[in-house]
Amino acid sequence: MIRLQDVRRVFHQGRPDELVAVDGVNLRIEDAKVTVLRGPSGSGKTSLLALVGCMARPSSGRIHVGEREVTSLPEHFLTEVRRRTFGFVFQQFHLVRGLTALENVMLPAYPLGGSRKELVLRAQALLDRFGVGGRSRARADWLSGGEAQRVAIARALVNDPQVIVADEPTAHLDSKLSAGFMDLVAALRSEGRTVVIASHDPIVHESAIVDRVVAMRDGRIVSGTP
Amino acid sequence: MILHPSVLALVGSALLVGALLIYSAFWGARIVQHWDLTSGSELQLDLERRTHLISTLLGYILVFGLASLFLFVFTADSLAPLFTGAMCAAGSLHASRYGYPVLLLQIAGFALAAIWLIVNRADSLGYDYPLVRFKYRFLLALTPVLIAEMVLRAAYFLDLKPEVITSCCGSLFGSGGKGFGSDLAGISPRLAGGAFAALLVSAVASGLLFRASGRGGWMLGALTALLLPVGLAAVVSWLSPYVYELPTHHCPFCLLQREYHWVGYPLYGALLGGSLTGAGVGVLMPFRAIPSLAGALPAYQRRLAGWSVALLTGLGFLVAWIVAASQLRAS
Repeated sequence: MIRLQDVRRVFHQGRPDELVAVDGVNLRIEDAKVTVLRGPSGSGKTSLLALVGCMARPSSGRIHVGEREVTSLPEHFLTEVRRRTFGFVFQQFHLVRGLTALENVMLPAYPLGGSRKELVLRAQALLDRFGVGGRSRARADWLSGGEAQRVAIARALVNDPQVIVADEPTAHLDSKLSAGFMDLVAALRSEGRTVVIASHDPIVHESAIVDRVVAMRDGRIVSGTP
Repeated sequence: MILHPSVLALVGSALLVGALLIYSAFWGARIVQHWDLTSGSELQLDLERRTHLISTLLGYILVFGLASLFLFVFTADSLAPLFTGAMCAAGSLHASRYGYPVLLLQIAGFALAAIWLIVNRADSLGYDYPLVRFKYRFLLALTPVLIAEMVLRAAYFLDLKPEVITSCCGSLFGSGGKGFGSDLAGISPRLAGGAFAALLVSAVASGLLFRASGRGGWMLGALTALLLPVGLAAVVSWLSPYVYELPTHHCPFCLLQREYHWVGYPLYGALLGGSLTGAGVGVLMPFRAIPSLAGALPAYQRRLAGWSVALLTGLGFLVAWIVAASQLRAS
């Protein structure tokens, strides 16, 4: 369970160009469910996703991941929580150009140490699972959009996180690939993982596998609050 | 004022360090007053971010503060040729009424700053800022000492006049004279050397026991805290004549000169480092019961004890070498 308590995120606070991206959000994200944050551009869903995934700190309010309050954690403790609890799929996928698909998948596991041989096997197994095992030696810049997305999902799973956070994961995909992505999400949910997606793509938030849609506007939740 | 590059560096850096210390103390006071980890208010989250900034800032400026003790003594030593009668830092410090008070304050500031850095490091080992109030209260007590030291140091440099006739170290640290230096030199060498050796061996044994079993932390802290003043007194009363091979020469500053292979730097460095890391183990003992520190603090204390043992063992070997290599023999 991830619990947000009166969370605000303000950019350029106290300046003339102050922007309230997230405004007093209270939210509970259930374990082993698929939650979608829906809203137009500028509604605050990406900012909220960054807060949920411990990639940013709120200006006020608290966030609990399980029993642990995470917003007050010193940076090295927060990094540890982020690394072990969350896997991220970004809108632009952010694969490192020049590295192979396999190396990209292995990258988030390096700070945790462990045997390189085991890591290679684990990364290859993930690529095989998502149907891109044959492209493991291909450089990231040679991959198609669909392949890049699958590699990005494999990378998000390499540390075996409990929660997958995805920001507009279908923004650069056609309808068929987007539907394929939702099938992968269904598989992740069936493994007991929590999935949180920010998206305004109807293929995502109208999908039958989504447990809950939280609608946002102007940094606030307008429907879907428990 | 004498416009020597080291003097300008020390005065300039004191202005910068003083300004940063006052800024840090201001935020430290706000943290002490308003800290509430159960609150998610904007103020609390701002203070949580500030404490990282302040800790990092203080980490750098206090490390510089530690180095400035040695730079100050080095500067006083290098100014000696400018004063009639001065042979080393002893004479330069005597050339102004502020000289020796500055040195004593610098040593006190050095010790307190080192302990603050140890506490700050311990605080960062817990996920819930377990020592945050203690370390900022400590900072609020430390800041006036460090500011006073900087003001007095600037007053000392401003007060220095090249035409002043001062005393040489033979007179200031002569066992027959009057004053603090002479009183130190007048302590029985047998007593000072014996107390130093006994404390050094006990401290190393205590450090080894603590590393092996995690017991005796209080003992290590107390022994090493006592070792620092006793060690400094023993250098003046007992050890320095072995370095100079002159039974009447007790100066603690000539040790820092080229003729004596700058032996004073490793000697004082090991004494200060070994004593303060050991004292840090004792200072941290009351915090071992804090749940968020229960796992990491004992390991950190063991590392500190390891440093203390290593530095004090090195000090022991250095002192033994000085005595063994000296032509002077105890009567």
